[in-house]
Amino acid sequence: MNRASAHIHGWLLLLPAAVLLAAFTHFPAFATLWHSFLSTPKGARPAVWVGLDNYQGMLEDPVFWQVLGNNLWFALGTIPASIALALLMAVWVNGKLAGRGFLRMAYFTPTVLPMIAVANIWLFFYTPTYGLLEQVTGTLGLPSHNWLGSQSTALACLIVVTIWKEAGFFMIFYLAALQSISPSLAEAAAIEGAGRWYYFRRVLFPLLMPTTLFVLVNAVINSFRLVDHIVVMTRGGPDNASALLLFYIYEVAFKYWDSAYASALTMVLLALLGAAALLQFAFLEKRTHYQ
Amino acid sequence: MSAIRLHDVTKAWGTARAVDGVSFEAAAGGFAVLLGPSGCGKSTTLRLIAGLETVSAGRVLIGGTDVTELPPARRGIAMVFQSYALFPHLSVAENILFGLKVRGVPATERGERLRSTADLLGLSALLERKPSQLSGGQQQRVALGRAIIARAPVCLMDEPLSNLDAQLRHDMRREIRALQRKLGITMVYVTHDQTEAMSMADQVVLMNNGRIEQNATPAELYARPATAFAARFVGTPPMNVVSLPAITGEGLLLGLRPEHIRLGTEGVAATVATVEYLGADSIVACRVGETLLNARLPGRATFATGAAVRLAWDRDHTHLFNAADGRRVEPASAPATLAA
Amino acid sequence: MISARNPMQPGGWGRALETTGAWLLALLWILPLAYAFWTAFHPPEFSTRFELLAPLTLQNFANAWAAAPFARYFINTMVLVALILAAQLVLCTLAAYAFARYNFFGRDVLFMLVLVQLMVMPDVLIVENYRSMAALDLTDTILAIGLPYMASAFGIFLLRQTFKTVPRELDDAARVEGASSLQVLWKVYVPLARPVYVAFGLVSVSHHWNNFLWPLIVTNSVNSRPLTVGLQVFSSTDQGIDWSIITAATLMTSGPLLVAFLLFQRQFVQSFMRAGIR
Repeated sequence: MNRASAHIHGWLLLLPAAVLLAAFTHFPAFATLWHSFLSTPKGARPAVWVGLDNYQGMLEDPVFWQVLGNNLWFALGTIPASIALALLMAVWVNGKLAGRGFLRMAYFTPTVLPMIAVANIWLFFYTPTYGLLEQVTGTLGLPSHNWLGSQSTALACLIVVTIWKEAGFFMIFYLAALQSISPSLAEAAAIEGAGRWYYFRRVLFPLLMPTTLFVLVNAVINSFRLVDHIVVMTRGGPDNASALLLFYIYEVAFKYWDSAYASALTMVLLALLGAAALLQFAFLEKRTHYQ
Repeated sequence: MSAIRLHDVTKAWGTARAVDGVSFEAAAGGFAVLLGPSGCGKSTTLRLIAGLETVSAGRVLIGGTDVTELPPARRGIAMVFQSYALFPHLSVAENILFGLKVRGVPATERGERLRSTADLLGLSALLERKPSQLSGGQQQRVALGRAIIARAPVCLMDEPLSNLDAQLRHDMRREIRALQRKLGITMVYVTHDQTEAMSMADQVVLMNNGRIEQNATPAELYARPATAFAARFVGTPPMNVVSLPAITGEGLLLGLRPEHIRLGTEGVAATVATVEYLGADSIVACRVGETLLNARLPGRATFATGAAVRLAWDRDHTHLFNAADGRRVEPASAPATLAA
Repeated sequence: MISARNPMQPGGWGRALETTGAWLLALLWILPLAYAFWTAFHPPEFSTRFELLAPLTLQNFANAWAAAPFARYFINTMVLVALILAAQLVLCTLAAYAFARYNFFGRDVLFMLVLVQLMVMPDVLIVENYRSMAALDLTDTILAIGLPYMASAFGIFLLRQTFKTVPRELDDAARVEGASSLQVLWKVYVPLARPVYVAFGLVSVSHHWNNFLWPLIVTNSVNSRPLTVGLQVFSSTDQGIDWSIITAATLMTSGPLLVAFLLFQRQFVQSFMRAGIR
């Protein structure tokens, strides 16, 4: 095979995937940027260049700031908790506890179920007066509370569902990492007199650092990407108390049909994901240390 | 200094016995090698001494104390693993100091001991490196350093040289032996390489199928193998153990080391099958009837394939084994026709 | 060779404590699902009353099935999932082969451009992709749901890593025997990467079976709605709040995946693990 034909073959093999990728990832990303500088066409009025007006409007939009704040709390609420639980689950499932198979199944099951379906189940769980949660709090003599209908608890309810759905998924990555650690490291540590906690703190946890960073990046992405349960459980309410950025984009674009403003909001989301990408690069650097 | 004693130690997984009624004593300050083919139970025996496995039956004593129920950390041992088991995220210094930190040795003493250990092993320039930045031989030294810095009276090594190339293995053999003498440690060393065992050990415990075949000094193991298995396992090339009823009579196996067979004008008639030239000597395979015997001759042997020769050996160099159970039979009781 | 006892496992009281903790967490984790099962398999009057001898029934499932075109939703989802998977397998295999074994102009830049999709997923480009589908007159079709996902950066990356581990000698040996590039791909690389294909397939199927937001946006009729969207339409509009029927419908939509998972648990977990180790 000569060099010219190697180039041509390579390009031909890549072409179908490249066309689709360009059409549905790269082009829309640039189109978003372009449209964020235009106005939304209305009826016979075509889109016109408005410069930074959409961004100006965004800065003055209290809902945008509330949604961004919600997303921040959502990330802070879901990420550390689901990662910590995932690590705990992985250590347990990797060990030789009784009923290991059942444990693994129980932890992992939420991952394979559709978010939309589990959101329905949880919706029922949180239902006022006769949902399971109400029954439990009622039995304990606590006052009745509308968990999803109250501004103070709606977002927290979504956070709980997300942790429940994600922890088992992240557990898998930790499990894979734990299984790749040579058992002789634990033996060497035991001979040197290290206890379980010391070994976890000084050996396992540092060795799992690349996995933790990988999971962290995924968790950050998910915290901006997962909005299915909002559609089912709260529709962003009450009063946008549980709306996240992507959900707001969805509402602006497909409920208020303000596509230009939705584009500007999408640019913010892309910027946040770009920041996560930089984090991943740092993570790749780190990872090479051990290999 | 601590002697190690195993009393009738058994390790069973289900019905499979990896170690089956093993008893021996490794002398304090001595170098004992557990030798045998893979799967013979030597590594398991070492792990039972370390406490990394629990015994199914029997007792393990270290320095006169029964340690059978004690966890590894309280047995007064250090261990070097086949894979070295270095912590990949820690520097060389941190790896070596791991145990001292766990045990809360003060920082000033740690520093001193690190310095002397690193000097001893030639690691002083590498202390800040990560294990992945070291060669195989250097990693081996770090593992050694971690084992000796705690000054445990007993050191256990599980095939520590098997990941090194031939030249390095040779150098490390001498170095480990010298280190063991210098520090006066009781060493138990596992290997499948009989050359390693013969060149390093004060005492060789040869194992097969979870049992001890022979427990002896290297010289004894070579000169008076207790079983046909021991005879075949030791020597390069190993001893010929063959059935030649015409010479030994029925029910016996004849053992002859290749270096003890002479080719000449008298003795047992044979034909040359192959000649293998090794430089300093040659291995000549000779056919006696249907049986092949290897003879090791100095220099370059020039025999044509199929040439008729005669094989002779001294009576002192013959070994006899019971064909039924492989046990050694003293030649005194054997027929006089033995010296061919 | 030796099944080692890990010395870092807890012993005695610690072990009992950890086992209890692990089980409590596990029970907590399946509680919502167990609750859904209870409600779906009992008459509505028992949906929030827990009595051991409550009669079991399949009526809720029958009602749900009759109340909405679930059969059509099932077919739509299966067509969607199969379409996406088939396209992904072909496109990603070809692209991964090019990246792994060809040295063509711009390869490294192109690979970086592919990886961009790992961060900027179609999931967040809903506004522009909807605009594109409308321009192509594809809205409310199954193809429109699948198109943005067919060239999967994840699949390309995963297969490229796998193809790179195939020894060059195997490739050379096949070429010496006279195989063409595509034959080498088909006879050498694809069979060797089988476990990775299984892993990717499982991850892809479960992901697209469960996908919701994009299908919700791009479909608006029974003809193209997948199960997830159908379930949402059903439970938010058609049914008031009859929880027994909604939970039955919910279990029904997740049923095939759940059953497949329970049957092939080990493969699922290993596949997700394999897909996760990059």
